[in-house]
Amino acid sequence: MNGFRKRLTISFFILASISFLIFGRSQNTLIEQIRAYVFDLFIPIITLVDIPRDATSNLSDRVRNIAMVFSDNRFLREENIELKRKLIESTELEIDNFRLKSLLNIKNGTLNTVTASRIVSDSNSPFFRSMLINSGTQANVKKGHAVVNEEGVIGRIINVAVNSSRVLLLNDINSRIPVKFVKNGINVILAGNNSRFLGINFMPEDVKAVNGDLILTSGMGGVFPPDLPVGVVVNVLATGEIKIEPAVNFDRLNYVSVIDYEIANFSELSEGQMENNKPSRLERSKQ
Amino acid sequence: MNILHKGKSSFGIKKILPFITVLFLIIIMVLPYQYKIIANTMPFLTLIGIYYWSFFKPNLLPIGAVFVLGLLQDTLLGSPFGLMSLLLIVAQQFIFFQSRHFLEKNFIFNFFIYIMLVIGFGFLSWGITSLYFGVFLDYWKVIIQILLTIALYPIIKLTLSLNNKS
Repeated sequence: MNGFRKRLTISFFILASISFLIFGRSQNTLIEQIRAYVFDLFIPIITLVDIPRDATSNLSDRVRNIAMVFSDNRFLREENIELKRKLIESTELEIDNFRLKSLLNIKNGTLNTVTASRIVSDSNSPFFRSMLINSGTQANVKKGHAVVNEEGVIGRIINVAVNSSRVLLLNDINSRIPVKFVKNGINVILAGNNSRFLGINFMPEDVKAVNGDLILTSGMGGVFPPDLPVGVVVNVLATGEIKIEPAVNFDRLNYVSVIDYEIANFSELSEGQMENNKPSRLERSKQ
Repeated sequence: MNILHKGKSSFGIKKILPFITVLFLIIIMVLPYQYKIIANTMPFLTLIGIYYWSFFKPNLLPIGAVFVLGLLQDTLLGSPFGLMSLLLIVAQQFIFFQSRHFLEKNFIFNFFIYIMLVIGFGFLSWGITSLYFGVFLDYWKVIIQILLTIALYPIIKLTLSLNNKS
């Protein structure tokens, strides 16, 4: 009898685990809410346990920075001269761009930085690439918001709790983001594969990628704003497979920004505006 | 010393010590390490904890606790919900099934069983995850994880036994 009860208990827990696996696969809202609540609860504990690692990491960073201060200073001076030159070019291009957009009546979307957050936990697994940040609904973070840093795109928010959120990284196997090639503007879908490099799904046959091609977000889908750096093509295999190195160095992530992008709305024309936009009798007669 | 004392009950903090130590190992696994080479090949620390406690104090780590620990690990890691609870329960049942042999054999035999367990655990996790995502995942990192889990066992065992004695 005791053996039967024991076997029943084991079967119950195994079946419960399998049920969670099956129901969790379709992003069950209840399961996602429970997960969000639990990881929110653990954030302070993780932060506390992380203190020694964080302190050691800060110390080694400090030592490295001191050791490299002279070479960095020289490099930054040279870079500053180059950047000043590029700033003038960029300002001219910006004015041109603004003028052309006004002519074509193109409206830009609005981009808001929701919050800056610290990374408190990492999945540290070869199969799953996500991390927890210490901002949630209290900081107006919502599911689907883009996560970036000064180098480029990091990922997007997939689960939000009150004081924390989970970020699905760009290189996770479930990550898909719309991007474009800078040189020809071809839109493709960038896919993560759990490795260091990113790949492209369904590359058009007539388009050939070469090493060094820059990849930016295309802005399609409305999650990521257009023209954010995503990566650079580093290898094109004979099979046609393209390997892209992310613009972001995932090894040195500490702080990230959560951004909200809204596509420009084309407001509905009022009755009066519609009347004004109608071709006049004279124009119609000309047609 | 271990399975023989299955019926013996402990009091106070010692009762929750296995749960707390495995939970601590889960938290160690999810810290944001700066070097991804460490992060991508993170050993199965929770498996070491489950093996140790199921072997030395099986009554202090019931199946319900293993289930909860597995779900907590899935939540903090971001892995499919239920994956780790399933794997850890299967691992614990394997340990219980083999426990009668442990008592009669020496350290080498027990360590050999541990190696078998880690290999099985690693490839089962790889297999289920591949099935779950519907893709053939890279197994080389799992092999490294398996090797590191085997290599780390003596250190974690020593730490846990110091905790257990104190």
